Amino acid sequence: MIAAVVLSLATAQADVSVAHRRVLTDDGLSLGLLRYSPPGHDARPPVLIVTELGFGREVADPLARALVADGRLVYVAQVRGQGASDSGASLRSIVTFDFPAIARAIGGEVDLVAHGWLGTLALAASGHELPVRRVVALEAPARFEVPSAMAEDLLSQGSFVALGLTPHGGERFDALFVVGSQVRPEVLRAVKAGLRDVPAPMATEWLAWMRSGDLPLDGVGTVRSRLRSYDRDTLAVLGLGDGFAGPELCAPLRDDARAKVKLHTFSRFDVGDDFSHLTSLVGSNAPRLIFPELVEFLR
Amino acid sequence: MSRLLTLSLLLAGCATLHVPLPPEAELHRAKTDDGWELGLVRYKAVGPPTGVPVLLCHGISANARNLDLDETHSLARWFAAHGREAWTMSMRAAGDSDGPDESKGRHPPSFDDYWQHDLPAAIGLVRQVSGASTIDYVGHSMGGMIIYAYLSQGGQGLNAVATLGSPTRLDWGSGTESLLKVAPALLSKSSMLPSRFGSWLTAPFQGAVDDGVFERLFYNHESTSTTSFQRLMAYGTSDTAGGVALQLIRLVETGRFASNDGALDFRAGLGRVTLPVLVVAARLDRIALTPAVRDGYEALGGPKEWLMISRANGARAEYGHMDLVIGERAPDEVWSRVLDFLNRHARKEP
Repeated sequence: MIAAVVLSLATAQADVSVAHRRVLTDDGLSLGLLRYSPPGHDARPPVLIVTELGFGREVADPLARALVADGRLVYVAQVRGQGASDSGASLRSIVTFDFPAIARAIGGEVDLVAHGWLGTLALAASGHELPVRRVVALEAPARFEVPSAMAEDLLSQGSFVALGLTPHGGERFDALFVVGSQVRPEVLRAVKAGLRDVPAPMATEWLAWMRSGDLPLDGVGTVRSRLRSYDRDTLAVLGLGDGFAGPELCAPLRDDARAKVKLHTFSRFDVGDDFSHLTSLVGSNAPRLIFPELVEFLR
Repeated sequence: MSRLLTLSLLLAGCATLHVPLPPEAELHRAKTDDGWELGLVRYKAVGPPTGVPVLLCHGISANARNLDLDETHSLARWFAAHGREAWTMSMRAAGDSDGPDESKGRHPPSFDDYWQHDLPAAIGLVRQVSGASTIDYVGHSMGGMIIYAYLSQGGQGLNAVATLGSPTRLDWGSGTESLLKVAPALLSKSSMLPSRFGSWLTAPFQGAVDDGVFERLFYNHESTSTTSFQRLMAYGTSDTAGGVALQLIRLVETGRFASNDGALDFRAGLGRVTLPVLVVAARLDRIALTPAVRDGYEALGGPKEWLMISRANGARAEYGHMDLVIGERAPDEVWSRVLDFLNRHARKEP
């Protein structure tokens, strides 16, 4: 079955129509929402891709196209402070305002691909602000702590853009997001060109979330309490090389949540690539090693 | 004739890799309560002792030389040079310790033999010879797993512990797990797998192939030199007991860190541990995956500390499983952090 998915992904990459939509939140912000449409009609729920803060649409594009190749209608969310969306001042407002606005714009249940720390917020919103059927969690932490000294430094300064500008920034970028993986240089350049600084109040709140071990949501519990009652069937993809949301922080979702969570850990010994925070989405080996299982799981 | 020449060159290549222990290494024997003799090596502290002795224990398919490879790649000699009397031990059926001998009632071991019989004997000997009432302990890989099992069942005689790349769960959905699940059909409790001979024979060829299978599994060439890994393969390995392998494979199948008969739940017992434990993981450890190591940290009662060795935390290159104990920069990037932890939890002997 996986082989059939690989074949279909390889033969149907071309026919993708991408539309840029604007979504207005209840607190008055304008968000970007990309719509990747397949050529024909698909009765299955659309797939919503939520990727890490600080990164642009480039990181979601290969997976979006792979899902379209499987006939899926795909949306790529751009929450406040991300991509072409308005700037924001609060992470918790993403849960309170952005996900409901995105859900209204899509209309109905989605299959969710949740990537990174922002992906964890989407997991917490699943079944609440976001109607969700099945989930693929890519490097989405369930234990909240500062993952590394470099990550702490990055969020203290909030400047993702600087990672793409200097050799020192490039080394940090590599250590945090690309460890143990193969990625084409032109893809990396495009990803770095799409970096956007996380607004200072959001970076501060993000760091506080890591340091304190939890993030309170607006009047409705915390991210941790939401994950304890999380109950959506989930495939959790763990890249051994992730320096920003390491597999040791993501794997506990299996034990913490009520959901049936299937883990798949990748390593260079097993498959030739350790995968990391970004390369599970944009790495040279992701279309061959990760996307087929993901597409199959969401079928 | 050419085959004979090839064999001669191979044997010569293996032999030249061997580095003997230095004159200051004191050889000791510990007797277990079930009749095995274990080989231990003692290095006295250089200068005034800065704390209690440290017992170092290797992992599966290894022996004491794994932690005492040569002058510059020796956790034992490094500890001694930094004021800690250091001891290495070989578990039963490894290194200089007794091997299985059916005529003497010594059967190939299980994992439980290590923590039930070998550890108490080794800890007892170090305490007796040194005069220390408690000692510190550092275990690599399975050497950490056996101390977890020992502590979970109320094991005594220790002051503080560090584990390096020691998993407590092995079901993480990796491709290797699928392979391991078919292994029980090929193994028996009464067998010894000839991993020592295989390692010795392939030692001269390690590093000959870029990104070879051993490198992918065991080390990162940016952290460990080819020579060090060749030496490890030449004399730092031992045969693998089928019973030990089967017990670890059961971890893959069940997700339970438990005794051979399933009656003792080691993971649950870790919650009752109250002595200080440092848990060290390596970002690119492809044997003890970071979630597998983290699982032990989560289970421990505390006080406890978590240390991730990675470039994102300041290491100059990523570490794999063996890099933690034979890496070129391990003294600065790993061992010094372990010693710092042990010193912070030091107890002065009266």
